[in-house]
Amino acid sequence: MYSVLPRIGASLIFLLFCSGLQAAMPTLVVYTYDSFTSDWGPGPQVKTAFEANCSCKLELVGLSDGVAMLNRLKLEGANSRADILLGIDTNLTADARASSLFETHGLSLRNSALPADWQDDLFLPYDFGYFAFVYNRESLTNPPTSLRQLVEDADGPTLLIQDPRTSTPGLGLLLWMKKVFGDDADAAWARLAPRIVTVSKGWSEAYGLFLKGEADMVLSYTTSPAYHIIAEQDARYAAAAFDEGHYQQIEVAGMVRTSKQKQLARDFLEFMISEEFQKIIPTTNWMFPAVAGETLLPAEFGELIDPSPALLLDEQQVAMQRKTWVDEWLEVMSR
Amino acid sequence: MLRIEQLEFAYSSAETARMRFDLSIADGEVLSLIGPSGSGKSTLLNLIAGFLDSSEGSILLDDRPIQDLAVAQRPVSFVFQQHNLFPHLDLYTNVALGVDPSLRLQPTQVEAVRAALARLGLDGLERRKPGELSGGQRQRVALARVLVRRRKILLLDEAFAALGPAQRMELIELVKELVREHDMVALLVSHQPADALLASARTAFICEGRVAALGSTAQLLEQGDPPELREYLGSK
Amino acid sequence: MSRALPAGLVLAVLALLVLAPMAGLLQLSGLPGYEAADLRFWDNAYLRRVLYFSIWQALLSTLLSVLPAILVARAFAMRGQLPLRRLLLGLFALPLVVPAVVAVMAVVSVYGSDGWLPLGRSLYGINGILLAHVFFNLPLAVRLLLPQWQAIPQHHWQLGEQLGMSTWQGWRFIEWPVLREALPGVLLLVFMLCLTSFAVVLTLGGGPRSTTLEVAIYQSLRFDFNPARAVVLALLQLGLCILVATLTLKLHRLPEVEIAESAPVRPTSALRKWLDLGLILAATLYVGLPLLSMLIDALDGPILKVITDVRLWRALTNTLLIGLSAAAVSVFAGWLLLRYSAGLAHCGRPTVARLVDLAGSIVYVVPPLVIGTGMFVLLSSHVDVFDWVYPIVIAINALMGLPFVIRCLGPAMRRNHARYHNLCLSLELQGWNRFRYLEWPLLRQPLGLAIALVTVLAMGDLGVIALFGSTQTSTLALLIYQQLGAYMIPQATVTALLLLLLCLGVFALLERLIGGAGNVAH
Repeated sequence: MYSVLPRIGASLIFLLFCSGLQAAMPTLVVYTYDSFTSDWGPGPQVKTAFEANCSCKLELVGLSDGVAMLNRLKLEGANSRADILLGIDTNLTADARASSLFETHGLSLRNSALPADWQDDLFLPYDFGYFAFVYNRESLTNPPTSLRQLVEDADGPTLLIQDPRTSTPGLGLLLWMKKVFGDDADAAWARLAPRIVTVSKGWSEAYGLFLKGEADMVLSYTTSPAYHIIAEQDARYAAAAFDEGHYQQIEVAGMVRTSKQKQLARDFLEFMISEEFQKIIPTTNWMFPAVAGETLLPAEFGELIDPSPALLLDEQQVAMQRKTWVDEWLEVMSR
Repeated sequence: MLRIEQLEFAYSSAETARMRFDLSIADGEVLSLIGPSGSGKSTLLNLIAGFLDSSEGSILLDDRPIQDLAVAQRPVSFVFQQHNLFPHLDLYTNVALGVDPSLRLQPTQVEAVRAALARLGLDGLERRKPGELSGGQRQRVALARVLVRRRKILLLDEAFAALGPAQRMELIELVKELVREHDMVALLVSHQPADALLASARTAFICEGRVAALGSTAQLLEQGDPPELREYLGSK
Repeated sequence: MSRALPAGLVLAVLALLVLAPMAGLLQLSGLPGYEAADLRFWDNAYLRRVLYFSIWQALLSTLLSVLPAILVARAFAMRGQLPLRRLLLGLFALPLVVPAVVAVMAVVSVYGSDGWLPLGRSLYGINGILLAHVFFNLPLAVRLLLPQWQAIPQHHWQLGEQLGMSTWQGWRFIEWPVLREALPGVLLLVFMLCLTSFAVVLTLGGGPRSTTLEVAIYQSLRFDFNPARAVVLALLQLGLCILVATLTLKLHRLPEVEIAESAPVRPTSALRKWLDLGLILAATLYVGLPLLSMLIDALDGPILKVITDVRLWRALTNTLLIGLSAAAVSVFAGWLLLRYSAGLAHCGRPTVARLVDLAGSIVYVVPPLVIGTGMFVLLSSHVDVFDWVYPIVIAINALMGLPFVIRCLGPAMRRNHARYHNLCLSLELQGWNRFRYLEWPLLRQPLGLAIALVTVLAMGDLGVIALFGSTQTSTLALLIYQQLGAYMIPQATVTALLLLLLCLGVFALLERLIGGAGNVAH
């Protein structure tokens, strides 16, 4: 018994020492979406890996999504604790740029895996993906091979999509349709509408309903089948490859102008495009790493469809037209 | 003539929990029931009204058994100490419910309701709500309803206990008149020996689920026999 | 008037919690993207349609939830001896805590194209919205209406029987008058819940045709980042509810005199008995089937993996902490308000009393998103919001729980006050002693229901916690959403089941601990 007391004493001193040490260490605050910080997201691994070398503390703050993050940053203005914003996509970058809340990162994306060249002083991509309609091979034997076919075949598969007002893939599909059909997008939506079972608030609801068998196809990502293959050993699900190509989502991070630890923030961005970080992405965020590399992708990703050509609208155009397009969409869909 | 013969009721399986009553009351008579709390006075009234079911014995009104009739079919009117009236309905409606709960009254029935209210000294108050009345007036409304219901048996369970002595006496006199006028049979449960003296020539002393004594009210109260009655009355 | 002061304080805090954030948001109108024209919703066809749809679906949902609930509550009231009654009523408290997305899945499991009672495509649209809303609100209305039958004096039943009243006449003269005291409040509450429904309406509604005001508010604040418009829409929603409240109050009657409590033991015919049992069975099936489907899905899921995760238990602790604190705050505030309004009703000012109740109830319709964002604007320049996540989340949840407290406790407290206030005055029974000797013994049942309800409600809440975000703040509801967002649907089902079981346990425990050992609702 007598040996217990000194042990407790020693532990206490040790704890005090540790907490003292922690207090002395700088803390890097990263705003991101909460599926990034969740236990099975990239967050925990990223934190461990970065903290191993930076002699700092990485604080990942989970907010509901990219829009929430950006709004939060705008509201906080100069008082923000954030050093990095990670997880907005190219549909939001124009807005983010206009807010002048971001600082030039001064880095370049070497060895980019993105289909197009990346030139941006403020934002650096860390992963990307393609929107696609996912279906169950057993119940849908001949999926459409193009967006046009999907739209025009009145007896085609039933669909679950998301609302562009509340969801990223929802907005992605809106832009995809705009890219492919241009000014005729309204008419295309009108043709599609009867086969849309429902338009959900977020991705989760639509995907959940799809797994329950409520429709033939669901709007998701080309990488979705990889989850079922890797995590569930279930090869029934596939994404339909469309001839026109697939609309792209690129997720980026940026450095907050008011950050007091710009060097540390820059180190983090550098780490973000390193192999160590990129390797974590495919099986936690279920997206493609932004950096090319043989060893980065698990073999199962090879079974996924080829989404090329990658479609993307100019960010300025999206920023300017988005509202009009959503209003048009509402008009067509509410008829 | 109301006859209660070997009427049994058990509120639990224990032997002591068994009650057994024998009584008879003549037409036009008011019989007082006195006795300690829990002795079975209210139980007896509830058995007659049908709120409780007897296990054995019979209740005979003019030699016809009524113990198997449903509550609504029994020739019984009940006046409780409180909650006799629906607080959200006016006096007229409260009384009219006694004629027909659907409130579809013939002109003659409407007249009967008004007459009953007038008989009880409530004319002009038809549209008042019970909340606007005194306790005595509320019980008068309940009695007016008894009148329009024209049922032979009237049961009063401490109906006037909450009233002042003058009002109580007044209402007891009124009950006696009504019972005589309409040839009813009335049972009046009260805790006040004075009420019994005023209300009825005969009184039954109920104790431990039995009619322990029955006789002239004056004699019963004076003699104080059996000992339980003496104890109940608090007399030496 | 010593009770006016604390009640006034509560009202002031309420006003502050609701109006200050709105002011904070309006102050942001100078931000880019703001156009004054956006505020004129009356000449915007889209918003007019949204308004119309919101009202329509909410009215329909309310009627379909509350009218059957009256019948079911009545059946429960008449069958005081029903075996499993307590369990069934516990079950009826559950739908309220099921996170919307999980409820949608559960409803689809039952009525979806692969479901047990398939409705096919016709599920999506007003049918689905109504099915889900009735699933949420019918059981709630049953729980809130049930205690009213208890307020009927035994003698009224006996009188009704003696007068030979038919079922309909008994309803008209005995039950309806007592029900009228609680019904308007329940109607308003359910209306507010349906009006502010979001994920259910959007997902089961079939498309943007089914857009509610709440969606428009969310859109303004999030998608368009137009805080001023969000505030205007929130005020519109508030105004709408005040209008509905005024209408429902026309139904309202405070009981006039003579109130007593008794169990409605009513000898009834065998037919009536079977009818009641049939009603109870139907309602139980309606509420139970979606829950059962969740249970079946969850039992199929990776239970062991989920429950051995230490983070689940951390989330569970947070959930309990938030739920219990929010309930404590909410019930305390509601108590002060109700004590004041009961006093007002007692001394002949029922209109003012109703207004006080209304003020407490109506806050529910100001979307937590608006309050939360507004609070954020106000606080963020002064304090580090992350240190304040728990207090803010608890405060907002307490605010959202207030209408439930007022519904549960209001009628009983008014009754108590009318009956014993003068006695208390004469005995100088006040403060703690009054609570200990009078209010606690007589009000512990509705108090238990109120605390249990607000606790589980806050435990199932997601909106507020997701809004502020944090590094460690995790709750079970948030965990479910994160799992759903990461393809982990089987895991999410298990977590959802755990949340439900936790809620059931907490509900039963609180109701028993606080409400006493007597059976539910009487």
